[in-house]
Amino acid sequence: MSRKKIGRPENPLGNTRFSGRAYLYLLPAFLVLAVFVLYPIVMTLRMGFYESYVYLTDVGSGFGLSSFRYVLRDPAFQLAIRNTLIIVLVGVPITIALALGAALFINSLTRGRGVFQTIYFIPYVTSTIAIGLAFRWLFHSDYGYVNYVLSFFGVAPQKWLTDPNLTVVSVTIFTIWNGLAFKIVLFLAGLQKIDPQYYQAARIDGTPPRRVFFRITMPLLSSTFWMVVIVSVIHAFKTYNEVYSMYDGKSAGPGNSAITIVYYIYDMFFNRSQVHYASAAAIIFLLIVLALTALQKWISKRFVHYV
Amino acid sequence: MQRRIGQSIKLILLILGAFLMMFPFIWMLATSLKTLPEATAIPPIMFPETPQFGNYLEALQVAPFGLYLRNSILVAGIATLLTLALTVLAAYAFTIYEFRGKTVMFFLCLATMMIPSELLIIQNFITISKLHWVNTFQGIIIPTLASGFYIYMMREYFMQIPSVLYKAAKVDGCGDFRYLMRIMLPMNKNAIATIGILTFISQWNSFIWPLMVAKDDSHRVMAIGLLHFRDAVSSQVNLQMAGATIVILPMLIFYLVFRKQIIEGVSRGGIKG
Amino acid sequence: MELRLKNLVKDFTGTRAVDTGELTILDGKLTGLLGPSGCGKSTLLYLISGLQKPTSGRIYFGDRDVTDLPPEKREIGLVFQNYALYPHMTVAQNIAFPLVNRKVKKAEIRERTAKMASLVQIEELLNRKPNQLSGGQQQRVAIARALVKRPEILLLDEPLSNLDARLRLEMREEIRRIQTETGVTTVFVTHDQEEAMSITDEIILMKKGVVQQQCGPQQMYLDPVNQFVASFLGSPPIDYFRFPLRDGRLWITEGYSLPMDVRHEGGILTGIRPEAWGRGDALQVQIQTVEHRGKDTLITFGLAGTRARALLDITDTVRPGETIGVTLRPQFLYLFDAESGVRIRQEEEQ
Repeated sequence: MSRKKIGRPENPLGNTRFSGRAYLYLLPAFLVLAVFVLYPIVMTLRMGFYESYVYLTDVGSGFGLSSFRYVLRDPAFQLAIRNTLIIVLVGVPITIALALGAALFINSLTRGRGVFQTIYFIPYVTSTIAIGLAFRWLFHSDYGYVNYVLSFFGVAPQKWLTDPNLTVVSVTIFTIWNGLAFKIVLFLAGLQKIDPQYYQAARIDGTPPRRVFFRITMPLLSSTFWMVVIVSVIHAFKTYNEVYSMYDGKSAGPGNSAITIVYYIYDMFFNRSQVHYASAAAIIFLLIVLALTALQKWISKRFVHYV
Repeated sequence: MQRRIGQSIKLILLILGAFLMMFPFIWMLATSLKTLPEATAIPPIMFPETPQFGNYLEALQVAPFGLYLRNSILVAGIATLLTLALTVLAAYAFTIYEFRGKTVMFFLCLATMMIPSELLIIQNFITISKLHWVNTFQGIIIPTLASGFYIYMMREYFMQIPSVLYKAAKVDGCGDFRYLMRIMLPMNKNAIATIGILTFISQWNSFIWPLMVAKDDSHRVMAIGLLHFRDAVSSQVNLQMAGATIVILPMLIFYLVFRKQIIEGVSRGGIKG
Repeated sequence: MELRLKNLVKDFTGTRAVDTGELTILDGKLTGLLGPSGCGKSTLLYLISGLQKPTSGRIYFGDRDVTDLPPEKREIGLVFQNYALYPHMTVAQNIAFPLVNRKVKKAEIRERTAKMASLVQIEELLNRKPNQLSGGQQQRVAIARALVKRPEILLLDEPLSNLDARLRLEMREEIRRIQTETGVTTVFVTHDQEEAMSITDEIILMKKGVVQQQCGPQQMYLDPVNQFVASFLGSPPIDYFRFPLRDGRLWITEGYSLPMDVRHEGGILTGIRPEAWGRGDALQVQIQTVEHRGKDTLITFGLAGTRARALLDITDTVRPGETIGVTLRPQFLYLFDAESGVRIRQEEEQ
């Protein structure tokens, strides 16, 4: 008891006991965190600054920014950034709009809520690889259903998987389909937190539905909405599975035209064994994610007034 | 009246949406039962004339899906149990003890939440190569076990248990580990189920890491096995879909059985994208 | 088991929460730890339980020095303010938990649990969960859990504060009954003077961590050692006046005085309990307010520049503005030093 410093705040259990046993409880988790999370970050940071690096011998040469220069000038990386931005800037807004609409509709149902929720959530639990295989054939230029359905509207058959201008569109469509489930569930959870008294009050006041949506639902949903936006954007920046499953892992479509940032990192490391370039790209990717996380913190402080 | 029309439009849109969400699955199942000419007909045919269940037998002969299933259950199951164990122990230490470096260590946990796991694969692959863990289950499982987010989430739940129970248990002669097992865990059943479900699903569907580590069938999980199967049957789309259906089915059944808990768990632990 | 505290001190961040001096709590009795909130009574209870460690001083259970023992080795039972029942366990499992922890044999656990349940009269609730019980029933379970390990000392921390008024009356009788039946040395923390007065054998009254007086409840009420004790006990509370002391008499008014054999330098404060007044002809007073309290009537009137309260019989019908004759019963009248609040006793008392 003499070791106890007077004035130290008691912990919530009122158990201000300095105990070495704590480390025993923490050891397994922190061993894994240290070896497989912290160490790789440090090492990746280091590798990214080498001009060349052989991982088997852990020998690097030429310390500097040249790998970053290479990656940033690499047309493939620029394409990866462009494609990722398309997925983020086009795919995410569409996903969110559809998810919000579906959630609002589902939430307004008096019966059958559970059925729709169950169906809309299926993509979240099913393997992206398996679904990607199906999408590959649905997008097929000859026997795919997408072109077949479009033909009824007089649209000529498109080469969704082989036309370099269209590959990123197909991938984006797949990410939208794949991402809806999670966002619908989050929106539904947010909607269910809104006290029905507000709607009863609005009804008594004779508020028209459109105003109910903009003046009651959206403001009260704003914290969920921004959370979903940020989570979706970060998630979209990590897009990789959809590309990998629609193509074969050796390239992201013809001329790597559907490449994304994470796919670029994987490709650099696995197919080309250029660890230092992969690391430099990973660091750039990390900076983007960190910036987005900071933006999230800022937004949630600045704009979210209702919880 | 206007309300009724509005409701009907909503319902029609929802049914249309549900159809679009289901269509890839329906098509997948239908195609898995087609003959090859049916599957590659132009214009496409939706349903086969006679269901070709033989496609499944053929698929099972080409690739050992039973083995893949076993591996998936093994990997996702063990990884989930170990993740829970590590998470609970660490969160418990952060809840009941004071120790040197507590603030720093907790901050580290929070900081790892911001690190995309895709960033780690490069060095982690190098690490497990050096450990000779390539093509082993421990190589697939162990690097994924610790999650700062889950530790943080679990601790939030633990902190809600009134401290007076801890005092009462002390007086009742209950030690710290026993308190964890007998009081904390039973009282946080829901939180543990949530984390368990989230971990299990993400482990089951994860593939970039298992793809890198597994080199032969005896270590391939279902998603990775499917990729190899796809290459083996090349353009036989009906067989590909039979394989895809086999891969999706177990998780779909698991989902339909536990859908309430799964949806609830996902919306509760939702912040993790 | 007699409980002795030797100069037990507990400091929190620069303030002294508890400083007991020499304190002995009687074997087999029900002792009330009484005081206003923040006076250190709960801290003292936690020090006795071992959940908190003292800054200095020793704690003895009988001849056994338990100061350095953890709570589970002290042979105590503790009932918390919010009962702290384990919500996921049934009543029976809650009661049995301390025994399970001690690896007592299953048959014995069953037998002792049943015995405890019958002692606190909850036999029919054994398979329920705590959230299916009323506050009073939860309280009984908590007591059973505390007693099942046959503790040497039973500690109760504000056990009645979460109950409604009617249940509180019932449960305090129950605590008294259970304590009498088991004969276990019991320490009972409360801020409610009425609770302490009604069921305890002895009261320890604390203020700012320091014991003010320790004695039986009646004696504490009748013979307070200082102004704090006099003020803390009694409802409605005692009134204070600055009456002059002259020629061996205390002058209530110019025409009414009582003999007072006191030698004292400095200011004197006279405390008069409302029940000291009765109808009589010593003093004529004009009634300001009348409050009917059920069993008696509380009136106020001006006296010596301040307001006095008096309790009259319920049958005594009086109205505000009326002038009545009153007199004082001197045994409910106490003198204190105006500076320190220490009681000034008459010569023949000393």
